[in-house]
Amino acid sequence: MHLSNFKLHLKLAARNLRRQPNRTIALGGAVAFSALVMTLISGFVGGMDKAIQDNVTLYSGGHILISGYTPSWSGRLQNRFIDDEIAKTVESVIPDVRTVSPLAQARATVVFGTREIQLTLRGVDWTKDELYHDSLILSSGDWEALNEQDRSMLMSSQTADRFGLAIGDQVVVRLTTASGQQNVTDYAVSAIYDDAASGGMTTAFVSFGDLIADLNMKANEQQQIAIFLKDSTDAERAAKAIAEALTEKGYSIASGTSGSEQASQRRMNSEKAVYSISTVQELAGEIGSALGSIRWIGYAVFILMLLVSATGIANSYQMVLLERTKEIGMLRCIGFKKKDVFASFIFEGILLAGAAAFAGIICALPIGLGISFIPFDPHGDFGAALVKGHLRFAPTLDQLLIILVFIMIVAIVAVFLPARKAAEVVPVEALRITA
Amino acid sequence: MLRFYEKRTWFFSSKSIRDISLVLLGFVIVMCAQAQGGPPPGGPKGGGGPMAGIGLPLGFLEADKDYKFPDDITKYTANDFLMLVRRTDIRSSFYNSDMNATITTVNVSPTRGTFVTKEQIFRRDKDDAFLMLTLEPESRKGQGMLRVDNNMWRYDPTSRKFTHTTLKDTYENTTVTNNDFRRWQRSIDYSVEKLSVGTLGNYKVIIGELKANNDEVPFPYIKMYIEADRKIVLKVEEYSLSMKLLRTAYYTQYVQIGDSFVPTVQIFQDGLVPEKRSQVTYTNISTKSLPDYYFTKEYLERVSQ
Repeated sequence: MHLSNFKLHLKLAARNLRRQPNRTIALGGAVAFSALVMTLISGFVGGMDKAIQDNVTLYSGGHILISGYTPSWSGRLQNRFIDDEIAKTVESVIPDVRTVSPLAQARATVVFGTREIQLTLRGVDWTKDELYHDSLILSSGDWEALNEQDRSMLMSSQTADRFGLAIGDQVVVRLTTASGQQNVTDYAVSAIYDDAASGGMTTAFVSFGDLIADLNMKANEQQQIAIFLKDSTDAERAAKAIAEALTEKGYSIASGTSGSEQASQRRMNSEKAVYSISTVQELAGEIGSALGSIRWIGYAVFILMLLVSATGIANSYQMVLLERTKEIGMLRCIGFKKKDVFASFIFEGILLAGAAAFAGIICALPIGLGISFIPFDPHGDFGAALVKGHLRFAPTLDQLLIILVFIMIVAIVAVFLPARKAAEVVPVEALRITA
Repeated sequence: MLRFYEKRTWFFSSKSIRDISLVLLGFVIVMCAQAQGGPPPGGPKGGGGPMAGIGLPLGFLEADKDYKFPDDITKYTANDFLMLVRRTDIRSSFYNSDMNATITTVNVSPTRGTFVTKEQIFRRDKDDAFLMLTLEPESRKGQGMLRVDNNMWRYDPTSRKFTHTTLKDTYENTTVTNNDFRRWQRSIDYSVEKLSVGTLGNYKVIIGELKANNDEVPFPYIKMYIEADRKIVLKVEEYSLSMKLLRTAYYTQYVQIGDSFVPTVQIFQDGLVPEKRSQVTYTNISTKSLPDYYFTKEYLERVSQ
């Protein structure tokens, strides 16, 4: 199409839209509302995905986890291993890694007075930790106390409230050692973190060295290696590279979240340690499946909104066609070609839908941000999808462009039939009918 | 010159190979029978013979028969006490027959209050197998637990799923562990560290402090109170690796069934939360032979419906 024609059609489309402001506002409003709903849904679903990944990183302790299982005297695989080479391999394979730190954890029963609760107890090397220092908000106590005091515990505010615990209180911890024996130890509560700010997490944290001792493991043993990357989206690629490097060095790797299960299956026919590698995306995928229904509802609303917009636009332009039959006849008489009539309708549809969708997207942004200030229960069903007890609104530019383009495509499809009919109008016949 | 297919082979003939194979097969059968404690006398019956036993050391049952215990309880040596523990292990179990019974458990918890559960248990001690079905409460009726071939599963009829469980896991978050429903084998898992003599109520008891033989036994240390006259266990204290008391088990009533002495009333008190305790009572004990299919996942699935 020639540039002058393009400008002419654009001008004509704009003029036509201004001719019937009420109809334009009504139709544009409907399209803008569709774009607004689509933006809100995609923004919140995207935000929930990101929140789940962040919270899973907190729950699991890193973006990539390497767990080691060593066969015991009876052939049973125990979650423990001694190998400094793995950490060195990780650092050589991923040069831009933030931290590579040992991790140990146990399912423990914490007893205070006559009350008891089961929770995950994680051993963290506080001197190497960046993740928890950056992510957890302490409601009481401080990090120095955790570093300096022996057998100190960082506990969630939910657990502390349930027990009526305060800083300095002693709790009894009952756990099973790496080999399966019962053990009981004491810890003092040194700090309490705000679990509402961490997706309702109830994990309690202690020093890595203390937990290793409780698990009856040697000082140089570990259960997992937690790898914290600069960018969590690199986790899958990095995990693959680590698995390949370790396999090349002769390690037995069972990759994926079911790695521990695969490792367990090898209990009788493996004489050397078996390792499993899991990433935050895999773990988030398991939790994120709970969000599947929300995502599908989002898609359904997205399609429904597009259909509603398409129907509205198509109906309106059928009416426009009837109204402008005489005008089209006259335009054809003064030299307008069929394709020009067709193009003027299509341009009008694109201009209307594009402008309305843009306005809808712009309106959605403050509304989404406003909703993200509403507090939700972090211990509820979707606690893992919240950030500090709030929904995260995180639409990406890609998502917004997709919404804009989709609405414009739908507008073209919806206007196509009326535009073709308009192009097919016989000038003399049109003038005769409307005379 | 001979062609390649006419070459004479100097290996054994097929008849010789058959004879050697038969001899080897017989040897393997004899060795397997030895490893299992030998075939039961009079051929296999429903409950198996007295010498059978999966997971039992060679001669476990035979060595007990003629063992002469000292008359004076102060004269007991570590070996005497271990043999006494073995006697209690054997007498509390059913190696000559199968066993089934109804178990009623009254649980007291400071957080959950008092609640009662009722289970039907089917045991085959020679194979270290058991099947347990929940009868009460109504909400958990049909749930089951099966132990066979060193594997243990929990079955939920609502989800129709089996989940793997272990002997050390507590039963329904009470003071009872899955291990309490199994045959006793403390004399296999522990060795004697220290002996003393004392009284428990009106009974003179030998108190043995035992240490686990390996690091995979759930309780690393136990203290057993055994009444020497009747050779029955009255009390067992179970300790953690850090030597903290985890649980005390009291065996307050016994019933003799054939050669077995079954502790029909067992009380378990939590060591960390003393207010938390459970009383397990065995009733309707029967030693009738059970079909083999009872100890299968298919049967548990079927009977749970």
